[in-house]
Amino acid sequence: MTQADPLNLYGETFDSRFLLGTALYPSPQAMLDAVAAARCNIVTLGLRRQDPQNKGGENFWQNIRETGCKLLPNTAGCKSVKEAVNLAEMSRELFQTDWLKLEVIADDYNLQPDPFALLEAADILIKRGFKVLPYSTDDLVLCQRLVDVGCQVIMPWGAPIGTGQGLLNKYNLRALRERLPNIPLIIDAGLGAPSQACEAMELGYDAVLLNTAVAKAQQPALMAKAFADAIDAGRAAFKAGLMQKRQTASPSTPLIGKPFWHQK
Amino acid sequence: MSVTPLNIAILGAGLLGQLSAWRLLKHNHRVELFEQAPRHKQHSAAWTAAAMLSPMSEVVISDRRIYDLGMRSIALWESWLSELNVLDALFQRKGSVILAHAHDENELHQFYQELNYHLGEKNNAKWLTRNELLELENDLNPEFRQAIYLPDEAHLNNRALLNTLTTFIEENAIVHWQAPVYLNEENPQLAAFDLILDCRGNGANESLANLRGVRGEVLHLHCPEVSIQRPLRLMHPRYKLYLVPRPGQHFIIGATELESSDTSPVSVQSALELCSALYTLNPAFAEARIIELDANLRPALKDNMPAIVEQKHGDTRVIAINGLYRHGYLIAPALVETLLATI
Repeated sequence: MTQADPLNLYGETFDSRFLLGTALYPSPQAMLDAVAAARCNIVTLGLRRQDPQNKGGENFWQNIRETGCKLLPNTAGCKSVKEAVNLAEMSRELFQTDWLKLEVIADDYNLQPDPFALLEAADILIKRGFKVLPYSTDDLVLCQRLVDVGCQVIMPWGAPIGTGQGLLNKYNLRALRERLPNIPLIIDAGLGAPSQACEAMELGYDAVLLNTAVAKAQQPALMAKAFADAIDAGRAAFKAGLMQKRQTASPSTPLIGKPFWHQK
Repeated sequence: MSVTPLNIAILGAGLLGQLSAWRLLKHNHRVELFEQAPRHKQHSAAWTAAAMLSPMSEVVISDRRIYDLGMRSIALWESWLSELNVLDALFQRKGSVILAHAHDENELHQFYQELNYHLGEKNNAKWLTRNELLELENDLNPEFRQAIYLPDEAHLNNRALLNTLTTFIEENAIVHWQAPVYLNEENPQLAAFDLILDCRGNGANESLANLRGVRGEVLHLHCPEVSIQRPLRLMHPRYKLYLVPRPGQHFIIGATELESSDTSPVSVQSALELCSALYTLNPAFAEARIIELDANLRPALKDNMPAIVEQKHGDTRVIAINGLYRHGYLIAPALVETLLATI
């Protein structure tokens, strides 16, 4: 794209509309290569199981700091408001940032967010000065309530984490986009293919966050580039204005020599 | 091989240190082994490891180099352990089985796709039906509908192996237990040697940049009711767990993988994950006895690949081997072979 088209989140601007997770890669080096190929400005990181009280993950976190990206710590693995709030406070201290990807998980198998605990935790954390980016379902009322308590970004899922299923409920996702036109919306989780990320951007979503589809590819850096290109393409298509679909195929030039009443 | 015998100091009595000591002694070098821990306090990653020799399962999560080092190492284990007449006691090559529950069967297809990606289609992996699986492992839960059999893979009885190596080395060399093994400043004990071999694993973090520990947790069990012949790996979207049989209906189940240098005891979350995986392999494991819960660190470099690095300690040549990560037993013999060729 030739024109500047920055992403604005909580008053900060970013060139890239691709947020990448840092877990599950074959090695820290593979993660660094993927982040570079993704051209992203923001990376997420989890710390729940890394003994954050004692900085157990320090060597690994140092690798993530090397990316030079803005860090977005998450509360992955937290199942209650209390756990999430405690971990948020710890990550604010460890990484010197009040940005937080808030996850509160209700279902252990598909890692489905707990909408009630999510809202409660978001309310508490925003009052404590956090800039909360909540990982939510695509439920309009939940997303609206998250905005009401002060979330300035909403991150609905495309599909459950790690499934690679793509945008499962496009009706809901379209409704969210239409009803929350001034809130940055980021598709978080469930994407498996670049075409799905492109589709999210074509729907008018502001950015895409993913991890597994890149980290678990046989060549993570190459897949990261594929997603980055698809996200750029989808954004450009949205800005350019997609044509409306039509019921019948219509030739773009009239068929000369055929009477119009025979042209269907 | 005729070589000029060297005076070699080896730092670290984990797998790499002991294996190197043994092979260097066989090549008539003079060896002294320095270990920070006391004689009977085993806290190396090698003591915690389950010692699967699984080049195919591991290539899927690393790269071709691990497969090549692994296949070479299996051949070396067979030949080296035969010299001590302990091959049959310590080494089993019955293959291994990759499993997934019915609702996670995509994980098997993903595994197979990755295997083909790294090794091509002639990779010796074989799909098993339920009946074929039960013929191989008749104590397995019959609910598994299919599996992948990897006939080339093997496993070692690592603790018995380490004890055998310690005995051999103590008979043929000097071992300094509870010794200072630092290299970041002048270590007077190491002044008189021709060569220092740094096999300290995580202990080398003072002199090796980018070394990090990756936490792993395992359970040791005894279960007289269940008989399993070969390593089983259970594929799951988030946990990749394995069961490795030991003699006398003992089993090791592992391993978690956490990006943390935390060496505190096993967490409840990890114990739950390990136990529930175990239970689904055969519900009779519910009455198994937990003999031991162990947590330790895998020494890893940034690319999770091993490295052989030349350094200096004063004027003395130092060769550091590190970063074996989760592949210690799988690749150590091939690395020691390379080491023998370089000195």
